[in-house]
Amino acid sequence: MAGTANFVEAQAGNRRRTFLLLALLTAIAAGFGYLIGWALQNETTDTFQIVSPLGLGAATVMATASIGWSLISLAFGSRMVLSMADAKPIAREESPQLFNVTEEMSIAAGVPMPRLMVMETDALNAFATGTTMSNAVIVVTRGLLGALDRDEMQGVIGHEMGHIANLDTRYMTIVGVTVGLIALVADMILRTLQWGSFNRGSNSDRPAGSKGGNSGGGILIVVLIAVAIFAPIAAKAVQMAVSRQREYLADATSVQFTRNPNGLISALTKIDAAARPFPGVSSATQHLFIVNPVQRITASLPALLATHPEVADRIARLRNLGGQ
Amino acid sequence: MTTWIIVGIVVALGLWLIATYNGLVGGRNQTQTAWSQIDVQLKRRHDLIPNLVQVVKDAMGYEQETLTKVVQARNAAVSASGPAQAGPAEAALSQATRGLFGLVESYPQLKANDNVRALQEELTSTENKIAFARQFYNDSVNSYNTRRQSFPAVLAAASLGFGPAELFSMPETEKEVPKVALR
Repeated sequence: MAGTANFVEAQAGNRRRTFLLLALLTAIAAGFGYLIGWALQNETTDTFQIVSPLGLGAATVMATASIGWSLISLAFGSRMVLSMADAKPIAREESPQLFNVTEEMSIAAGVPMPRLMVMETDALNAFATGTTMSNAVIVVTRGLLGALDRDEMQGVIGHEMGHIANLDTRYMTIVGVTVGLIALVADMILRTLQWGSFNRGSNSDRPAGSKGGNSGGGILIVVLIAVAIFAPIAAKAVQMAVSRQREYLADATSVQFTRNPNGLISALTKIDAAARPFPGVSSATQHLFIVNPVQRITASLPALLATHPEVADRIARLRNLGGQ
Repeated sequence: MTTWIIVGIVVALGLWLIATYNGLVGGRNQTQTAWSQIDVQLKRRHDLIPNLVQVVKDAMGYEQETLTKVVQARNAAVSASGPAQAGPAEAALSQATRGLFGLVESYPQLKANDNVRALQEELTSTENKIAFARQFYNDSVNSYNTRRQSFPAVLAAASLGFGPAELFSMPETEKEVPKVALR
């Protein structure tokens, strides 16, 4: 379609980045699997080995699990994000204007009409998710419906439609569910270790039925602690790198659709002024929102750690597009 | 030898004709699909306007000149056929509805009326949809017409029955989509 020609490049980029992310994740999972298997094996045998069959086995299992996870997240990623955010479908009668504005933007973008959902909170925010263009969903908060006028809502929906047309939604959704999973696994490891050391401590006189004893368990525990600490940090870094450039692009795409920078400027101003964390926002989903609800960008927060550019910066760029 | 050359030329000519024909069919179909998208919204607009006029008339108790103008413009737009005719007629209709929206703005009892507000929202949305769909339609028309007029397709296009497609332009609203402050 002629209308979508500008988005082809952005779409190809996002397909590539999604693939790279999942491939990298699989490689890292395999690496950790090997490390854990290797540590276990060295614990149970007296001879120190570099090549460990147990490690190779564990690496295969982890890689398979990671590929399985990739397929699951591509198929159900948007559903997971929606349930993390506790978003519910909204009926047309509840807000005809929201449906009208979204239909307008989907015509302008030349993409199918996305489903619309709402988060029951007074906070002002919105996000889009979906791993393909046809299963895309735009979610707005209840507060946003009351706070924005037509032009402002058009700017926000245009921004989300830009994410959909650029296929940002696929990459951002996969990043979201993956960050969530890594946080969950790291948490589980830490809890298990805590519980394990507590048990071991209280039953020190118990004959060590399990293999390894006290000295050999050291390597395994060090590896597990390293995984539990570094995996979330790495996941965070990926998440941070995700979206700054994309937000500028989606803002510009919104203006391309609406031909009215002022709507988005005043919407961003309102959302930014009221931004605060609310139920349904987690560290896994914060990067999806039009304005990050968790991270208040201040002078003390280095730009490198931000998922979003400063709103003032975004508004300045919108002014360059002809806004007032 | 000469026979083979002739056969080769005929085959090449046939293949070229097929390719040209198929390309033009694709382009024409796209413009028609794009037009039907606009047409749906135009019809919707034509259906909505009498409702709004009626509600305003009921609320005010008398018929205003603005209303007559809107009804006339609407009827003219309904009877226009094809993009070239519809363009100016729809532009005039947009002009007239803007007058009507202005009227609504200046009468508090109209502004507070839920029906009026709902109809105004629907009309604003159809106007926006027409504007956005028009962009896509005109893009398709341009690419179809360019293909049709390019050499060597231009040699065959007319005799294969591919006429030029008409652009849809609404002269009055070319610069800006009409905006209504809905509070």
